Amino acid sequence: MSVIDILTRVDAICKKYDKYDVEKQRDLNVSGDDAFARLFTDVENDIEAALQKADQASKEKNRASVVALNAEIRRTKARLLEEVPKLQRLALKKVVGIPKEELAARNDLVLALPERIQAIPDGTATAAKKTSSSTVSRMGLKIDSTSDGRFESEYFEQTEQSSQFRQEYEMRKIKQDQGLDAIAEGLDTLKNMAHDMNEELDRQVPLMDEIDTKVDKAASDLKNTNVRLKETVNQLRSSRNFCIDIILLCIILGIAFCLKR
Amino acid sequence: MSKVDPEKLMVKAEKLTKLSFTRWTADWKSAVVLYEQAANEFRATRNDEKAKIAFEKASKCHEMISQPWDAAKHLESAGSLAKQLGEWNEVLDFFRRASELYSECGRAQPASDALAKGARLLAEVNPEEAIRLFNDACAILEEDGKEQMAFDLYRDATEVYIKLERYTDAASLLLRWGLAADHCKAVNSQCKAYLGAILVYLYTHDFKQAEKCYNDCSQIDAFLSSDQGRCSSKLLAAYEEGDAEEIKRICLSSAISHLDHMIIRLARKLPTGDLTSLRAKDAEEEALDEDDLT
Repeated sequence: MSVIDILTRVDAICKKYDKYDVEKQRDLNVSGDDAFARLFTDVENDIEAALQKADQASKEKNRASVVALNAEIRRTKARLLEEVPKLQRLALKKVVGIPKEELAARNDLVLALPERIQAIPDGTATAAKKTSSSTVSRMGLKIDSTSDGRFESEYFEQTEQSSQFRQEYEMRKIKQDQGLDAIAEGLDTLKNMAHDMNEELDRQVPLMDEIDTKVDKAASDLKNTNVRLKETVNQLRSSRNFCIDIILLCIILGIAFCLKR
Repeated sequence: MSKVDPEKLMVKAEKLTKLSFTRWTADWKSAVVLYEQAANEFRATRNDEKAKIAFEKASKCHEMISQPWDAAKHLESAGSLAKQLGEWNEVLDFFRRASELYSECGRAQPASDALAKGARLLAEVNPEEAIRLFNDACAILEEDGKEQMAFDLYRDATEVYIKLERYTDAASLLLRWGLAADHCKAVNSQCKAYLGAILVYLYTHDFKQAEKCYNDCSQIDAFLSSDQGRCSSKLLAAYEEGDAEEIKRICLSSAISHLDHMIIRLARKLPTGDLTSLRAKDAEEEALDEDDLT
């Protein structure tokens, strides 16, 4: 193990156990009443941790752990960015025992914080580059399907997909054309039948008119006949005439009977 | 009413109609009743010969008492019985006479119907006569202004012509059909008739005639802008190019499949003959034209 390693390890261990370092705590406690100082140190520590994690991520071989570390870094960054406005408000407060220059300095520090937070590498930069290149290649995919023959080596994978896609598209187009042809034939038949029905109905219109007039005439004739028949029957049925007829008949029979005797 | 011997009825009726010393005028009315009865009895007993005679006599009686309608009706029955007996001349006579009687009544439709019935019965045996009957029937209807009723007659007559393989006559009849359709504004039937005529000309391999026919028919806007017009122009173009596959494809299309079945049968057999000969003829003609110009 080299000296530098030992030094770094010692530093790390000291940092870890700083909270048990009484003197340092006393120093910190001076600023313990100062909320700003406390919060600021917290944020600084968090930034440090995030930077360390970023270092670790860049060295990692396992992609899954890289992704996990990057996710954690991003979460930390977001949290820290939320803390920044709080710090700004605290920085503007006037605290006892701190000179004016330090107050101004605090403000500057707070303003510098967001940049420092954003600067922490969290893998999105490289990811952004990757997605942009893939979108470019997807655009290339679309172009490929319309204009044939862009067989550049970077796009080779996509053109296999695109040729499959194109085949399916052609098959579906052919099926649709067949279906439409069948529909067209059916519509032709319907049109022909409709025309024939139209002509047949035109042919029958004058016949129906003739039937109409003839039936009207027959109906009125029947009505007349019925009325006259009713009158005649009423005349015949009138009871007075009937009784007279019967009485006269009886008288004649009686006379004939008497004559016979 | 008890079953009376139809022979006896016939004898009685005969006596009524025969003039003799004791009888100065024939009693047609009672005779006709007897004759009708006798005829029905004979028909029921399937005695066609006697029934036919009875109907004939009954119709004569009706004529005598100036009842042409009933007379014609009886003649029609007599005609159908004669057909069953196979006496074709009598069939012809009966139906013609019946039609005349109907015309006397002033009823054109039954007159043409009678002729059409006769024609259909004769179509197999004596097609020439049948065609004449059809033509007369169509003429009667056209005179009366009822062309629409004539469509069926035209169709049957065309069928007879095609069976006789008289294709030019068939084509001219189709054109007459188109004219009748034009009179009653039946555009669809008109276009179908014209397309049928063009197809018949092409079937006889008479390309010039077909073209002329198409040009004539194109004068009519309705045909030019119709499905049938488009189909015929495509067909003629295919003939000019000599493309047999194209011709076959067009003949399977819907415009032709909606025509009458006998014309569809002709269309399916297209192209008849040699298409290259048509093109050769055209080339020769072109050569002559060039000579004329120079």
